[in-house]
Amino acid sequence: MSKAIDVDVERGQDPTVPPESYFLPATDVYETEDALVLLAEMPGVAPDGLDVTVEDNVLVIRGDPVSGAAEDGDVLLKEFEVGSFYRAFQLPADYDTEKVEASVRQGVLTLRLPKSDRLKPRRIEVKAE
Amino acid sequence: MALVPYRGRNMPATTLSSLRDEMNELFNRFWSTASEPFGLAEWSPAMDVSESDDAVLVHAEIPGIDPKDLDISVVGDTLTIRGEKTDETEKCERNYHRVERRYGSFTRSLALPASVDAGKVTATAKQGVLEIRLPKKEEAKAKRIEVKGT
Repeated sequence: MSKAIDVDVERGQDPTVPPESYFLPATDVYETEDALVLLAEMPGVAPDGLDVTVEDNVLVIRGDPVSGAAEDGDVLLKEFEVGSFYRAFQLPADYDTEKVEASVRQGVLTLRLPKSDRLKPRRIEVKAE
Repeated sequence: MALVPYRGRNMPATTLSSLRDEMNELFNRFWSTASEPFGLAEWSPAMDVSESDDAVLVHAEIPGIDPKDLDISVVGDTLTIRGEKTDETEKCERNYHRVERRYGSFTRSLALPASVDAGKVTATAKQGVLEIRLPKKEEAKAKRIEVKGT
């Protein structure tokens, strides 16, 4: 994970800049003892359409869906549109951004940000005098 | 402190463009499934349905659903999709900051616009998008009729 702005050469755009119009992915965020986990729903987005960047403790996720099969014929029902997903989060404290694990499965992006050592709960031994 | 939406890197809060962004975000939030303003509605997948000359095409957003948890059936002119979205993540102690995804089972039925050949229906799930192609029966297909000039 690079700290500098990661310019996507192929698409010629900076992934940290929001697209003109976008959808907010529904996201679950929870904290375990040693990591912060984000689950973001981005249906239609393949791994190579995903950009995840962390800069100055700001996490930016962006996904561009593979352009689906053309809807041929007459549209009878339209409940969702296909478009880019974008969302940014301010991370609460120091996470180990070098060790972020990202995976995508069935249109759900899973990000795992390990806590840096000083955030992990530590048991302090009390010595008997 | 919990995770807060990020407001932008270098825009002073007073510029018009940031106001526009904020309004966009507000509407986005209001209409998206990410927040449910009117309480807990039951979850069911969003669908797009289109009809061509020889088939009916259904797309549904099913992020996070394992294809084997889906049950698709066609009875007469009714397509029914059943499924369950389970919380598949690690079962350990965790503190939630945000819960926006919906879980649970759903059933959705659609009245098909034409008779379809139930034996030739195909369904594929890719990246959380389900595609069901229902070829029409021969007699339901649109036929172009030549007009003969005399």
